[in-house]
Amino acid sequence: MIKQALFLLGALSLCASVHAAGNAADGQKKSTACAACHGPDGNTSVIPDAPKLAGQHKDYLYKVLADYKSGARKNAIMSGQVTALSRQDLQDLAAYYSSVPGSLHIVPISRLKGSGH
Amino acid sequence: MKKILFLFALLVFASAGSAALAQDAPKGNAEAAKNGKIAMCTGCHGVPYYKTVFPDVYHVPMISGQSELYIVKALQAYKSGDRNHPSMRGIARSLSDQDMADLAAYYTAHKN
Repeated sequence: MIKQALFLLGALSLCASVHAAGNAADGQKKSTACAACHGPDGNTSVIPDAPKLAGQHKDYLYKVLADYKSGARKNAIMSGQVTALSRQDLQDLAAYYSSVPGSLHIVPISRLKGSGH
Repeated sequence: MKKILFLFALLVFASAGSAALAQDAPKGNAEAAKNGKIAMCTGCHGVPYYKTVFPDVYHVPMISGQSELYIVKALQAYKSGDRNHPSMRGIARSLSDQDMADLAAYYTAHKN
């Protein structure tokens, strides 16, 4: 019985690493430094080339942060910002910014029209 | 304190660079994009909940309403190879600076 329970626990902990699980409330607490460029609402380009984050897909936000951390993506400011952050921090930040309402949205292509919108 | 000063210095440096870039860049025309190049974008960015393919699976990012300069910078990075995504690289390499400006102008103002 114990063996099965331990096995299940082990399997479940592996599953957790696949999903970008994070806590939005914790993410908000960790987002103070981010506001400098992305705005206090995550929806302002305080520096003109900073992307809006608010409402973006959580898994995409996490992937971007993880890429900065791994070096797969490089940016003078962002690469430095994430060195001190743990994976949990990245998950929390992604969870937070994805939960904030913002300008980002999707305009679905319509199958009824011809080409384009 | 040192960290804050360093971050501030980086901020000034980064914004100076992007300001210079913006002056050389062509002015975007959203209408030009609408009549042409957006067909390449809507196939992924216009389908709700669309995801990328294995092995790196995540939601295709929303770009409607995104910062105009960021869109240009992103396309430039895909074109140069600074950002590494096969589909985006192929698409970006087919875009001129004017195309990028037009697409950015279109998507930043894109409404439902």
